[in-house]
Amino acid sequence: MKKLVYLMLFMLSGTVVQAQDFEMADVMRSNGQIYVVVAIILIVLLGLFTFLFTLERKIKRLENKLNDKK
Amino acid sequence: MGVFELIRKDFLLELRRKSVIAGLGLYLFSLVFICYLTFNLRVNTINAMTWSALFWLVILFSVVNSVAKSFIGERKGVLIYYYTVASPQQIILSKIIYNSALCLLISVSGYILFSIFIVNPVQDHLVFFSALVLGSLGLSTSLSIISGIASKGNNSNVLMAVLSFPVVVSILLMTIRVTKNAVDGIERAASTDEILNLLAINCIAAALGYILFPYIWRS
Amino acid sequence: MKKTWWKILAIVLLVYVHIGGLLFAVPRLRIHETIRSLYFHVPMWFGMTFMFLISVVYAIRYLVTSSKEDDIRSVEFANVGTAFGVLGMLTGMVWAHYAWGLFWHGDPKQVGAAIALLVYLAYFVLRSSFQNQEQRARLSAVYNIFAFASMIPLIFIIPRLYSSMHPGDDGNPAFNAYDLDGRMRLVFYPAVIGWFFMGLWISSLRIRYRALNEKISETEL
Repeated sequence: MKKLVYLMLFMLSGTVVQAQDFEMADVMRSNGQIYVVVAIILIVLLGLFTFLFTLERKIKRLENKLNDKK
Repeated sequence: MGVFELIRKDFLLELRRKSVIAGLGLYLFSLVFICYLTFNLRVNTINAMTWSALFWLVILFSVVNSVAKSFIGERKGVLIYYYTVASPQQIILSKIIYNSALCLLISVSGYILFSIFIVNPVQDHLVFFSALVLGSLGLSTSLSIISGIASKGNNSNVLMAVLSFPVVVSILLMTIRVTKNAVDGIERAASTDEILNLLAINCIAAALGYILFPYIWRS
Repeated sequence: MKKTWWKILAIVLLVYVHIGGLLFAVPRLRIHETIRSLYFHVPMWFGMTFMFLISVVYAIRYLVTSSKEDDIRSVEFANVGTAFGVLGMLTGMVWAHYAWGLFWHGDPKQVGAAIALLVYLAYFVLRSSFQNQEQRARLSAVYNIFAFASMIPLIFIIPRLYSSMHPGDDGNPAFNAYDLDGRMRLVFYPAVIGWFFMGLWISSLRIRYRALNEKISETEL
């Protein structure tokens, strides 16, 4: 468990110094704007998943209905 | 009835009708002539890439026209006759061999026409002819099978074009590359990869056709 | 196929991928932050290949069993695979516009993928041109096998013969230059698995819908 926490910290720690540095969106990360983007994308994803689940429930209900008829 | 009789029958039927060969020849000739006129080659010259692409396009169009007939044009009676005398494997093998021969004939005469009317820039003849042979084999194999599928559909001519184009694209891309290498006279090691790929594609197409044709044929 | 655990797994993985893909550190390379599109663009192609693979397996099975269900499965997996392919194409075009300045750059990988998609569109055209259900299923199964066989060289062989500006050009179709980086693998592999399960899920829904349709039309007759 401790190892996992260290791994997460390592991944979140961000910048790794390299010989050649290219411009990245570091500002967006440091002032926390990126979390807004992440939140929005997550909402869209979760909405999509709930949609799929309800669709599946509808199909299941139809299947049961048909099987009962027989 | 064996494979050879079927091939012999195809040749006899086609050659007896002189209009078929004459029509094909004229078609090829007009295609080459159109290329000659549109590129205004009396004053202009074309580079290696254009030459190989044009060459293979002309070959493709004439081959599609002749090979497409192999199943689409047949009358119902002939098809029923086939069912009774031969197994599907024999039929597809004979069609592939016959179409390959026809295709080779077309491509060689296309080459001759190209060298008369346009130019003959080929430097490495061995590589060029291996591309010619492998390309014709690949085109005729895959087109024969596609024509078998398309002949069962509703509007088979449109279907033939739609189904065949994407399948032959990979063969065409390879042959055009090899041809360009042959035209430029680059060392042979540069084209071996493509030639091996072509060979592999041919083998796969022929094997698939041989295995799957019974399923197309049944009905 | 009706179990729920792998759907939950897909959701967990994809949520993780979308958080990690945007927040975790990535190598600072010449393509800047757009390296992150690897997490979202490349799994589409993996998903497409897997879906087409399953589709061709069912096509072969159809030729052996001649059961209508195998035909429906084959079509629906091809359908979802095509959807993945279109998404991969569109995301790739957006990136191409950023990196190369044009939506359609004519890169060998772009062209190969476009032709592969055309093959599968031809498959759907073929299906629509038969009236007889049995004949349609049989011939389209045969063409499906051909389509898969011609997709392999178009996506995996021909692009390697040409020089390309696509990232990871040395060998692997997608991401050779970066896959040495362990941090990216930690997000990339879950993304591939997550989208694969998503594809399975959507296809299974479509298959069940089609099966219901068949049953209803049978009872009406």
